[in-house]
Amino acid sequence: MAKKNFLDKQDVCIVAYAETKIDRASGKTAYELAAEVAEELFAKTKTKPADIDGVSFSVPISECSNPFWSNYATDYLGISPRWLQTTDLGGASTIANVCRAAMALQNDLCETVMLIAADAPSTKWSAVYGAYRNEFWEPTGINGPPGAFGLLYQRYMAQHKLDFRGLGALAVAQRNGAVVNDLAYDKFRQKITIDDYLNSRQVSSPLRLLDSVMFCDGGNGVVMMKTERAKKLGFKNLVYPIAYSEVTNHKGAHQTPDITESGFSVSGPDALAKAGLKPSDIAMFHPYDDFLIAVMLKLEQIGFCKRGEGSQFLAETDLSPTGKLPINTGGGQIGAGQPGLAGGGLNLVEAVRQLMGEATGRQVPNPKNAMVTGIGVIPYGRNWGTSNVLILNK
Amino acid sequence: MSTPAPKQAANKPTPTPKPRPIPKPTAGTKYFWDAAKRGKLALQYDPESKTYQFWPRTISVTTGKRNLEWRDTSGKGEVYSFTVTHVPATGFDGKAPYVVGLIELDEQVRIIGNILNIKPDDVKVGMRVKVMFEKLSDDISYFAFEPDK
Repeated sequence: MAKKNFLDKQDVCIVAYAETKIDRASGKTAYELAAEVAEELFAKTKTKPADIDGVSFSVPISECSNPFWSNYATDYLGISPRWLQTTDLGGASTIANVCRAAMALQNDLCETVMLIAADAPSTKWSAVYGAYRNEFWEPTGINGPPGAFGLLYQRYMAQHKLDFRGLGALAVAQRNGAVVNDLAYDKFRQKITIDDYLNSRQVSSPLRLLDSVMFCDGGNGVVMMKTERAKKLGFKNLVYPIAYSEVTNHKGAHQTPDITESGFSVSGPDALAKAGLKPSDIAMFHPYDDFLIAVMLKLEQIGFCKRGEGSQFLAETDLSPTGKLPINTGGGQIGAGQPGLAGGGLNLVEAVRQLMGEATGRQVPNPKNAMVTGIGVIPYGRNWGTSNVLILNK
Repeated sequence: MSTPAPKQAANKPTPTPKPRPIPKPTAGTKYFWDAAKRGKLALQYDPESKTYQFWPRTISVTTGKRNLEWRDTSGKGEVYSFTVTHVPATGFDGKAPYVVGLIELDEQVRIIGNILNIKPDDVKVGMRVKVMFEKLSDDISYFAFEPDK
């Protein structure tokens, strides 16, 4: 029997998307990048600030010391929302906001929601952490996210066979996407080879430089409304969220969990069951990509391949836009640059662009649906924090 | 016309590297750091579920009660995973490559710490290690691990 799914009626939809150029040390603020996103969304939806009555944001690294980021941002943009949601799930925030906005729309808290993510961590770094970080993390000299993921690589290698050429094939496929993506960080817009990946320097062994994203500045966003209203207003190119699933702090009460098992082993199969789909039904995959192994673990745990066979799957599967499973066709974040904690929106916007048939130079031929994922937060000696999955239909 | 930017001095001084971060104990972690100063690795024990937990929190993640007891432990365990750091974190300038391990203690909890007194190439998943302490200040002795031969 199908699982209960509040998105199964396709009664809410995405009507427009926007994305800024990705750049390093742009000198811009998150507000200025949000304004670039908003201008494009206003223009595409023929709206003005006064027409938007719902807003969601992700928390930017560049503004996270500011407890009033979202209030100031609405002031900056001239919007007076009746529903305002700010989510601090890191890279999982944007697709989490799609779920939250859908619930707000269905319950008539608002009619037109602008979902914006913008961040400029390569210009301004405001993050100051608490919890375990000051006492039990920073003094160990662990090198932040690369260190945490270095532990995942090493453990995975003790458990399974890891063919680094498979990860290299993914690095190459994503970089090919960045080459044809005008919005990608310019320095990344040249091809690489599997050998370039294998020969890139060790950062936190076994993790290499080309396993990793680079923090940049940028922003992205979408506009959502009820489907009935979208059709009445004349929007023709609609993208529907059809299933969503989320888990944070997977196995949080366990002291010795398998660290290579992520929350996607829960949220992946759950989202697929809600959508009534099998992994082989997914036309394209837009996974949150902070490190290559994260994409590989998701392929295994969502069910595209078996546990322990991810690198082999990557080596043997055509990941290009015309291939068997197109992955992060615009380069993803590893290919195009990570716009800080707006990063999750980059994967979402590329999926929406593909579903609307507007991915010039990299269009997937039959983009009937897409799976988008998010990852948030690095926990203490475990897998990552939030694992969420959104399935979209056109 | 704008003034040209002054050229950087040829003998630009190297910026002073930031020191290694030193923990500032909280009400809930004071016991742990006091024990470390005595040369002991203390862990929180949940008397109801009879399980240990780490990192220190004031509530049991098993029962939801704030009834945890501190216990000194042997500080022994095995390497569950590790990473060799080539790009040093704050306070570790000049130390790379160095090893950060994820250690599974015999009390069935995991703890992150440096693995010292061994070449990075010789560290293996599954090898036995024991706790040791590095004095960071008069008040803070910081835990690390070394081979338990």
